[in-house]
Amino acid sequence: MSRRVVVTGLGFATCLGRDAATVLGALRELRHGIVLHEPFDDPSVPVSLAAPVPGFRTDSPDAEDWTFPENLSFRLDQLRALSPNALYATYALRQAIAAAGLEAEAVAHPRTGLFTASAGSAMLTHHHIDRMKRVGPSRCSPLGIVASIAGTLNFNLVPALGIQGASAGFISACASSGHALGYAFDEIALGRQDCMLVVGAEDFTPETILPFASMRVLTLSRDPDTASRPFDRGRDGFVGTGGSVAMVLEEESVARARGAEIYAGFSGWGQSTDGTHMAIAHPEGAGLARAMESALAAAAVAPDQVDYVNAHATSTPMGDASECRALKRVFGTGGKRPAVSSTKALTGHALSLSSIMEAAFSVLALHHRFVPGAAHLVDPDPEAAGLFLPRESLDEAPHFVVSNSSGFGGANVVMVFARHS
Amino acid sequence: MSNTVVKHSELREALKRCPESAIEAALAFQETKDPALIPPIVLGILERFVEPDVRPVIREGKDSTRLMDDLGIDSLLMVEIVILVEETLHISIENEELRNIRTLGDLKLYLDAKTRGLPPPESKNVLNFEQIAATLPQQPPFLFLQEARINGEYAEGSYHISGDEAFLEGHFKGNPVFPASLMIEALGQLAVLFLLKSASAALDGPQVDPGSVYFVGGDGIRCHKVCRPHDTLQLKVRLKKVHEPLAQFEGSIFSNGSRVARAEEISLTFAMRAAREEAAARIR
Repeated sequence: MSRRVVVTGLGFATCLGRDAATVLGALRELRHGIVLHEPFDDPSVPVSLAAPVPGFRTDSPDAEDWTFPENLSFRLDQLRALSPNALYATYALRQAIAAAGLEAEAVAHPRTGLFTASAGSAMLTHHHIDRMKRVGPSRCSPLGIVASIAGTLNFNLVPALGIQGASAGFISACASSGHALGYAFDEIALGRQDCMLVVGAEDFTPETILPFASMRVLTLSRDPDTASRPFDRGRDGFVGTGGSVAMVLEEESVARARGAEIYAGFSGWGQSTDGTHMAIAHPEGAGLARAMESALAAAAVAPDQVDYVNAHATSTPMGDASECRALKRVFGTGGKRPAVSSTKALTGHALSLSSIMEAAFSVLALHHRFVPGAAHLVDPDPEAAGLFLPRESLDEAPHFVVSNSSGFGGANVVMVFARHS
Repeated sequence: MSNTVVKHSELREALKRCPESAIEAALAFQETKDPALIPPIVLGILERFVEPDVRPVIREGKDSTRLMDDLGIDSLLMVEIVILVEETLHISIENEELRNIRTLGDLKLYLDAKTRGLPPPESKNVLNFEQIAATLPQQPPFLFLQEARINGEYAEGSYHISGDEAFLEGHFKGNPVFPASLMIEALGQLAVLFLLKSASAALDGPQVDPGSVYFVGGDGIRCHKVCRPHDTLQLKVRLKKVHEPLAQFEGSIFSNGSRVARAEEISLTFAMRAAREEAAARIR
């Protein structure tokens, strides 16, 4: 395919930081963003830890009560249509657009599209439906739907930026923003668009995180420094996080023509579905392995060319073991193997946001020539035997990086990024 | 805690971010139901929902202040305002009634009637685009009024220059300026609308034949500023004199708060419906 896709902008509103430099420092030095979360300080809540985004507070259902960084501002009618995830997304996307050096006219252009991923706002859905049941629909905010349902990112961001090209949202649970990136890649590769803005976002509220405590998949640990430890024998569940990450994708010649800085190449992607359980990954990782094989084939990259895999591993007992088996099937257990780490050790699990967040970390690793280490890993799971899990970040410049994501419903998305020279 | 105190705290919570004066008025209204308290309550609720830069306009409290054009209140924001007004005044406002509320004055009159249990004031004098097009002989693309209202001896209307008007391509090349002649035309159309719709005692309004109205002359016409795409013309004509078959108006146009054009006199000729029918009968 002659049209190549490159990454020209990144934006962050994450627990590791709100700008690329801070996030980069945290990834290199393996500094995590997990804290004892005060709203969980309640005897009925078994969970203690979470990873908030510094500078944001959105626990009230009234957007006018929220706090957020000073460089964000909204008209009142805009603010009242926002979900927390759309607030984070506005921040991350504006940062990514600025980093890419895209002018407003280039954003509001028929050749520029916007793909998004968020699960909507559980908090605001509950708030508005509860009010509707109490006082009737005529006394409820007319913007309740816009702020609540899973299209909220598009509804809010499209008019704010004047998007004229493609716009759509993607729903595949924790693979959602990977699908958004993958189909954005296709839009450019197929010649439909020259530039795609992609943003994933997730509320950071008890309503989003605590239902996973009902599934018994959150860690009950009270120690932020060790709680999230993917691939470790003692892992006992994930830590919840939220926020947003945005990425600007462009067709390479278009990006070059305007003199944009290119962070990395986006070589290709693949996807598959386990077809087994509504929430539990295939025990042998068969679906994820197929997705990796398909992505590598699409990118024309051999397994032994891959230097780093940013794993999906969330620090749950079953999910991590399944991914270990998938990785061994694709990359083998001897000879040249890629370094593997899950940066969820630092961030916790960001659900719909996690795939693009980790894709952005992969791009930072390529651009800044390092490999993030497997933080908090002390006693590797026997299933991980044969995988190369560096405990510290490596000062080695990777050429090809694979980023894995899996979601409920057995959806798997794998992306391949390449160092740009 | 007494019931009243509970109600007070609920009301305070509902009205948080409104000016304190509005909250005090709402608490007093709960006890006294005094209609004199309605304006400060409603103005306070409006103030809470608009952008800070237009709040001073609300504090002036002019009846002519337009909710959409002057205060930036769109239909969705209006719903939020209505919900809070309903909660505070314990009334319910129908969607149909909302359509006729365009200015602060409309709103005050409406709420005053509502809280007294009277029927809402008639707003037949407010015309939307469809009603204007159904009344005037002028039709798109040569209709330069989008909404209008007729009050006693004067009429007000507006026209938003979309920029898509075909004639702007040639007026001027690469420099779209709304033609001055069409500004005067727009004033003339508003005057025709007045003739056809006014309930003024000087005229038997509905009796004027729409097919009989023509421009006769204009005097003292001055244009002060140019208008371009996305400007909104605020038009006003006042009836100076009428005696069949002639009616004289004065008119002015404002945009973005400054005067754009004025006409000391616009004269129209018209015929009563019956007179025209007689004439037609004679010709036959």
